[in-house]
Amino acid sequence: MKHIKTLNTRSLQESMKKGGCGECQTSCQSACKTSCTVGNQTCEQKK
Amino acid sequence: MVHQYRSNGYNIVLDVDSGSVHVVDDLVYDIIERVKQDPACPDETVLSEYNGEYPQAEVREALEEVRYLQQHGQLFAQDIYQGAVLDFRKRQTVVKALCLHIAHDCNLACEYCFAEEGEYHGRRALMSYEVGKKALDFLVASSGNRRNLEVDFFGGEPLMNFQVVKDLVAYGRQLEKEADKHFRFTITTNGVLLNDEVMEFCNREMDNVVMSLDGRKDVHNRMRPFRNGKGSYDLIVPKFQKFAAQRKALGKQYYIRGTFTHYNLDFAQDVLHFADLGFDQLSMEPVVAPADAPYAIRPEDIPVICEQYDILAREMLKREKEGRGFTFFHFMIDLSGGPCVYKRLSGCGSGTEYLAVTPWGDLYPCHQFVGNEDFLLGNVDEGIRRTDLVDTFKCCNVYSRKECTKCFARYYCSGGCAANSYNFHGRIDDVYEIGCELERKRVESAIMIKAALADAGGAD
Repeated sequence: MKHIKTLNTRSLQESMKKGGCGECQTSCQSACKTSCTVGNQTCEQKK
Repeated sequence: MVHQYRSNGYNIVLDVDSGSVHVVDDLVYDIIERVKQDPACPDETVLSEYNGEYPQAEVREALEEVRYLQQHGQLFAQDIYQGAVLDFRKRQTVVKALCLHIAHDCNLACEYCFAEEGEYHGRRALMSYEVGKKALDFLVASSGNRRNLEVDFFGGEPLMNFQVVKDLVAYGRQLEKEADKHFRFTITTNGVLLNDEVMEFCNREMDNVVMSLDGRKDVHNRMRPFRNGKGSYDLIVPKFQKFAAQRKALGKQYYIRGTFTHYNLDFAQDVLHFADLGFDQLSMEPVVAPADAPYAIRPEDIPVICEQYDILAREMLKREKEGRGFTFFHFMIDLSGGPCVYKRLSGCGSGTEYLAVTPWGDLYPCHQFVGNEDFLLGNVDEGIRRTDLVDTFKCCNVYSRKECTKCFARYYCSGGCAANSYNFHGRIDDVYEIGCELERKRVESAIMIKAALADAGGAD
């Protein structure tokens, strides 16, 4: 495309079909402990 | 929902419900703004509105690109998840993470500590090995088919009870084999008791180590003194530098994690101070405090803080180009391998998948609820007694908070922190507005950084 550059490759809607295994890290076990940050985590299936 | 914004010279369009992120030129930016008002409006109407401002062929070409994304579910996608959340609420949850309060005691007296100098509104206490063992047994027994289990050694200061930490890790390794589980141990420390033995042990056993440091010496010492009032910076920084260098060499994760308050609203300088000390995995969180605390973040601080995030993002990009980049926890965003929508909808898992355990074995929804008897869920001997409370936490998701339905960042914070909501509104399914404002800014900054890196050819 000439006018648009798309950055991501994973669709949330697609992730609905295969997601939900629950093996991913609990968000507060990372570096935060005081806020909820989920979007920066990595899917365990994609590692 | 479509959210668009300009940042650091980039026009960014976030298609919230598909998760698509687009960097666009000015023309497309304008067209999307127009189409957003009525995604079904005929092309000819849109074209006629741009007559004269741009060459017609170019407008047509840009509009075709917009329509292509629209047709392929990457723009103006619909929220199709609400039904899934209803199903999700009925799901059988398992416990997969524990925050072990290994010591309700601390050798520092941090002014903002939500644990009140480690004591959590209660008495000083150290967790015994027996209680810790029962906690790990409870975790394994409550984890169903989930293989990866997380245990964070927290406090207070967990190194004040290091022998029990070591013994529990050994017990966990034994349990792993018996139950076919995998423990990921982590520890959060203020560094005072760090020594070579602790570092060697943690480098072998801990998946992540969180080291608490607030930034520049005066900033750190003001909020993180010893009980005699003396600052702790000079003692801990050399130890953290040694520890971080070791972990870096081993390819192991660590975070230098700070807290900023109303006293250091120029906190970008503190993050850069971390980087200047040689650290490269950094985190800096806004303080969680009662609104009337002198160090609390106030609504009028928000524009200043947002500007700091801009300063930090630009400096990060500059240093990345210079080959001395670092990661900043709140700007980390995984656009290609991020969490699935279920995770994004269901939040942090507090009260369901994630529980905190006190030194005497009581269970709470998370570390921030410890000490509030209204949230006592049970204990490691009897398990969960308050299943009603667990059900309440299970229902916390982005749709249970009406503010989230209007927010573009909802799939990144997942509805926010239940404890923050409770502290400010007396209920767990509300939102903490200052936290929301800052989260939105951080998401925008994180995506801008991705756009800039893609521009430079270095993004994933």
